[in-house]
Amino acid sequence: MQKKIIYLKDTDSTQQDRVNDFYTLFSNELRDTNLIEQASVVRIADMGLYEKGVAVKILPENIVYTGLKNTDVKKIIEETIKGNKVIKESLYEKKSKQMRAVLKNCGYIDPESLEDYLAAGGYKALAKVLLEMKPEQVVEELKKSGLRGRGGAGYPTWMKWNFARGMNSPEKYVICNGDEGDPGAYMDRSVLEGDPHSVLEGMIIAGYTIGSSKGYFYIRAEYPLAVERVQKAIDQAVEAGLLGNNILGSNYSFELEIRLGAGAFVCGEETALIASIEGKRGTPHPRPPYPSVKGLWEKPTIINNVETLANIPQLIFGGGAKFASIGTEKSKGTKVFALTGKVKNSGLVEVPMGITIREIIFDIGGGILNNRSIKAVQTGGPSGGVIPQEFLDTPVDYENLGKLGSIMGSGGMIAIDETDCLVDLAKFYLKFCVDESCGKCAPCRLGGYQLLHLLEKISEGKGEMEDLDKLKKISYAMQKASLCGLGQSASNPVFSTIRYFEEEYKKHIIEKKCPAGKCKALIYFKILPPKCKKCGLCFKNCPSAAILGSREAGYVIDPIKCVKCGLCFDVCKFKAVTKE
Amino acid sequence: MKKITKEDIEKIDPLKKDLGKSWIKVGMSTCGVAAGADEVYATLIEEAKKRNIEIDIRKCGCQGACSVEPLVEVNVEGLPKVLYGRVNKDVAITILERHVRNKKLLHDYIFEIN
Repeated sequence: MQKKIIYLKDTDSTQQDRVNDFYTLFSNELRDTNLIEQASVVRIADMGLYEKGVAVKILPENIVYTGLKNTDVKKIIEETIKGNKVIKESLYEKKSKQMRAVLKNCGYIDPESLEDYLAAGGYKALAKVLLEMKPEQVVEELKKSGLRGRGGAGYPTWMKWNFARGMNSPEKYVICNGDEGDPGAYMDRSVLEGDPHSVLEGMIIAGYTIGSSKGYFYIRAEYPLAVERVQKAIDQAVEAGLLGNNILGSNYSFELEIRLGAGAFVCGEETALIASIEGKRGTPHPRPPYPSVKGLWEKPTIINNVETLANIPQLIFGGGAKFASIGTEKSKGTKVFALTGKVKNSGLVEVPMGITIREIIFDIGGGILNNRSIKAVQTGGPSGGVIPQEFLDTPVDYENLGKLGSIMGSGGMIAIDETDCLVDLAKFYLKFCVDESCGKCAPCRLGGYQLLHLLEKISEGKGEMEDLDKLKKISYAMQKASLCGLGQSASNPVFSTIRYFEEEYKKHIIEKKCPAGKCKALIYFKILPPKCKKCGLCFKNCPSAAILGSREAGYVIDPIKCVKCGLCFDVCKFKAVTKE
Repeated sequence: MKKITKEDIEKIDPLKKDLGKSWIKVGMSTCGVAAGADEVYATLIEEAKKRNIEIDIRKCGCQGACSVEPLVEVNVEGLPKVLYGRVNKDVAITILERHVRNKKLLHDYIFEIN
């Protein structure tokens, strides 16, 4: 009989770790029953389960038990280890909340090897398209699938492609938008680095469908590894005859080239991106005409996000209907999110549309760091908004997030806990947009600056009640009058934080207090003499010599010299330093 | 390399991607590299050679668990497939010695096991 291994982990974070107690229990029980030869107990670092009590996983059968009590140990040894039976009551049926479609190869194949991609079923969709399908049929499949652009706006991909296909022009272009610039988002980078051939395949299929013979990868220069891997993939594809003339023996020809973005956020906007490829200054221009009518070099062009293109091969291979079976009524398929902020397990997750935000944060992300409570979730980066915790059970899709005043965006998801200040957050995103505004249109250039100014005023404790109305007014003007998506959405973080957290703004304005203790001008540190043990730790650590006193006389903080770094608060072991 | 045809694509054995029975994969996307996957990969290659351990060591993309990078996935015949997290140079050497050669797991670094 093969030796069994019992993996042990306490998945509760709120209580004291009980792993060692259980380890002893299991070990003793095994010794007492003379089963040491048949099984061993192992404590592991992570099991992918959270808040399910003490859990064990038994291999090779891969049985998982959760919520164990001391009394269960004997039973498990008796029945499962000795008798090879499964105990139904404690059994945990693992339902993976994640669903890997776009990321299915990421982390499994060697991204620098074409053979690996082929072995994983790669380029089968391309062969099917080139040799068996007409462009109209590809559009038809896309229409059936209900795939929508993954860059944020969620425009139906089939419509974009169909417009460009219908245009009568000898030259057309396909562009892959890899100018991912949202703070905290890195889905596209991971796809380009982990599975570049899937994006390549998607682009060739797109080219064939609209009748284009030339495509561009627009990748930001801050992603050198992605650029290197994509270039390698292009070289391999050319060598293998998957790019170039007469691909796979058909009479279709296509070539690809990489263009680097030079670090401007606005170049992720499609008209600015086109200008950037043409060698012009990366500023947007008004639409219509849309790029699918008049795009790169004034020729019909389709611009798709990396994730959209990476969806294409599996969509074509499995068929549109299969793709449409996943997701909600209007949003189909899966979406990759970059889960960051105050969650325990930050990382990339891919989930079917329609999953709730709570499931993403708590079941996949493992909950909030340091057992604090969640306050809100920010999605969509600087163009998105915040979703307060009472709406965490909303299913994720384009419409629902839009209704809540946020957007799907490219897929950044940032968890915000009670120690984060929403005014500070709005200020951060707005500052980002002000820095990145290209300055072409007045609403964005001036409006953004004024909004930022008002927010700074509020966070410094100089805000007045009229400021709230001004914020709303300017935000509205920016939304309506800006030239491109950057300006139109730059005020979203302000709008949505005022919508859900007006109280917090009012506390800043009326009481001149920051409830989260983030806005430096509104917090004061103080040493409480009764609690102070005069150890001098704060005195030693203060970077600005703002703590006065001695070990005999005790210490006080000089509010004029204090830079409010919070170091004294952090180092004090007796909680004698308070923050208010 | 000769030009690929449709038959080539369809003929490819999907099992080939399983790379045989023993292999080590290192997550080498930006997230992994930033956490030190480069060094881990180099150490694995170098030490495996030094110690005459024959195992296929390869790069792969991001597995998603960015908070515990660098990630190293190890599959050795007779043992379950293990994903190690927060691997550094020393742990890499221990993986070769303990897991690959002596067929014992490194308990403290297991993040997923199948």
